[in-house]
Amino acid sequence: MSTLEAAHGGEAHAHWDTSIWPFVLSFGILALTLSFTLQFVYHLSLPAVIALGISLPLILGGIAGWTGEAMGTGEGLSFASMGWFILAEAMIFVSCFAAYWFGRLEAPVWPLPGSVELPKALPVLMTITLVTSSFTIHRAEHFLHEKNQSAFVQWVLITIALGLAFLGMSGFEWNHLIHEGFTIQTNLFGTVFYSITGLHGSHVLVGLGIFVAGVFPAMKGNLSPGFWRTAGLYWHFVDIIWFFVVSQVYFW
Amino acid sequence: MNLKEWVFTTDHKRVGILYLIGSVAAFVVAGIMALLMRAELSAMGPTLTANPTTYNVWLYAHGAVMILGFQIPALTGFAANYAIPLMIGAKDVAFPRLNAFSVWLFYMGVILALLTFVIPDPPDVLWTGYPPYSTITTGNTALYTFTVLLIGFASIIAGVNFITTIAYMRAKGLTWNKLNFFVWSILGSFVMQLIYVPVLGTAVLLVSFDKYLGTHFFDPTMGGDVLTYQNLFWFYSHPAVYVIFLPFMGIIMDIFATFSKNRIFNYKAAVYGGVWGIVIISGEVWIHHLYVTGMPDWLRIGQMVTTLMISVPVGLMTISLVGTLYKGSITFETPMLYALGTMFLFLVGGLTGIPLAVTSLTVNLSETYYVVGHFHYVMAVAGSLAIFSGVYYWFPKMTGRMVNETWGRIAFVFTFVGANVIFWTMMNVGVKEGLPRRYYDWAQFPQVAHDQMVMTIGSVIIGIGFAIMLLNWILSAAFGKKAGDNPWESKSLEWTTASPPPHGNWPKPPVLADDWSPYAYAKR
Repeated sequence: MSTLEAAHGGEAHAHWDTSIWPFVLSFGILALTLSFTLQFVYHLSLPAVIALGISLPLILGGIAGWTGEAMGTGEGLSFASMGWFILAEAMIFVSCFAAYWFGRLEAPVWPLPGSVELPKALPVLMTITLVTSSFTIHRAEHFLHEKNQSAFVQWVLITIALGLAFLGMSGFEWNHLIHEGFTIQTNLFGTVFYSITGLHGSHVLVGLGIFVAGVFPAMKGNLSPGFWRTAGLYWHFVDIIWFFVVSQVYFW
Repeated sequence: MNLKEWVFTTDHKRVGILYLIGSVAAFVVAGIMALLMRAELSAMGPTLTANPTTYNVWLYAHGAVMILGFQIPALTGFAANYAIPLMIGAKDVAFPRLNAFSVWLFYMGVILALLTFVIPDPPDVLWTGYPPYSTITTGNTALYTFTVLLIGFASIIAGVNFITTIAYMRAKGLTWNKLNFFVWSILGSFVMQLIYVPVLGTAVLLVSFDKYLGTHFFDPTMGGDVLTYQNLFWFYSHPAVYVIFLPFMGIIMDIFATFSKNRIFNYKAAVYGGVWGIVIISGEVWIHHLYVTGMPDWLRIGQMVTTLMISVPVGLMTISLVGTLYKGSITFETPMLYALGTMFLFLVGGLTGIPLAVTSLTVNLSETYYVVGHFHYVMAVAGSLAIFSGVYYWFPKMTGRMVNETWGRIAFVFTFVGANVIFWTMMNVGVKEGLPRRYYDWAQFPQVAHDQMVMTIGSVIIGIGFAIMLLNWILSAAFGKKAGDNPWESKSLEWTTASPPPHGNWPKPPVLADDWSPYAYAKR
């Protein structure tokens, strides 16, 4: 017959685990949505700024507190779960590309009236930067395995610098195009260009945020291999998505 | 009882109960919306309100809150959280903090949904939010977008969490083919959530972009395409039916096994053919929601075939349900009554869906009350009864007390009778009179006056049933008789720990013998 080794005495633990940070973070996100609603739906700028002022400290504080509490306490399963999260992330990009493909394949003329010639050299440079950063984070992980803290931190900082350079180039390009009169409101191509590059850029930013959140504990000697393997996987994903962005948006 | 240990809890059981409280609150609010609509429609002309936009807001709140605030969180939030770690012998989920984040994001989404009733210009875009209406209405489409985004994001991180939990945290000796059917159904459900929810999130976000930031995703004058939205939306929202359907099938399958004291008939066919068949086919049928919006015939016929193919995995699971009852020693406690009711209502709802899949019939039935009756049989009453059967079933585990049986049965009778009175009548007026759905009034259809009154009476009956049920739960949680660890004499793992279980679930992690099975009744 079925047997359970564990005899249970119903002995409850003295206390139940708690964490304040998920709660703080979700309130921050609620305030962020309210800020957007106040600004864009009701055109109340002051309340919107106040909501934003409440939201950002809650979000940043929530993330910082959460990281500080959890770092190094068992990310054993996070690498496996990141694969599933990436599946969900990939579907967001697929949806945006689908909106682009629907519009583009049905368009009677392409490029649409109002579109401008996109620069060709800059996206190549951006690609090289991002691919290089994938190699540098890989290098950093190598030093992590060798327990070489200073070399590890150094390579992470190089990766962060490359990520920032990528975002800088993207910002430069946006600025340039907006000055040429090509905005998110110009036509469908403007809409998808800024949405897809913006969506990708936001992922770069999140990746950088993860690195920054991890690099401070790392400087103090709190090296969590599980955390960095997972962060690295996310970064590689952001890198791979960029190939789709470049090929579909810039060179098609 | 320490309030701080509830609000900031990371324990899966408490997170599950928080999900239950939030989703039942959402159910009550959305249910009141349904009663308001039924009251409005009970007589011709303005009854409760003279403003059709108010009716649209009720319609929005009813649909959006029922699906996003009640059914999905109750199944993949409450039921998954409470039962999965216990069923697989784990001490908690893989990421307890992330789990707490899920439940609070869900609450924030519910708060946004409830703001509908206090803000000026509330959303009036149904739960579907179709452009171009949603981008030109004076209603607050942003609130709709954010409600979907927060609850959707909660679903995604819960999906990551639970897939990891089920894959890596099963007790020693608990192999894949020994899992409870419910665990499989939740796994399938979360895989679908991860694939499809991001698409919905993107779709509703792009609608708000179009409306508030001046983009042109769905604006044909600037190169966009309105149908893109419908495709993205239904690419999620048809599988959403299966996200709800699989766990509810899982709950009643486990209840059938427990109260028939029998193994699950044809377990592997139900798991690999049923659950995974649905997961695979679910992504290829969404275009049947667009039959009448116009498409080439080859696509329409292809989608008809895939839609009808869904009957195969569903049929496999139904055969397992019936086969589990066969030669079992069946007892009819309240959870079993609700589960049997679910099976009956689901059969009616499922079989009436087949004409809707057939393109030549659906052209005539589309946008009539027949459709409303059909999907309310499946989603509203079969889905809700399954959720509530799960609550009744795990109630002794959650509270350590039994639900009052007599009142449980009385509540069931009211709910079951009321459900059939409303929704059978609804299908009837849809087929016979072609009464169009969603309308604020029915002045052009004086012949349905009698049916409208019958449906309103039905809604009152079902409302009484749910009210008795909720009151019964509250009173039983406080004053019910003590339950003991395993009141239903189930073989499943969650019944081997104390009621309610301590933090960490078992003092020592359970180790299972080779011949252990959650359904090992036959060897008694």
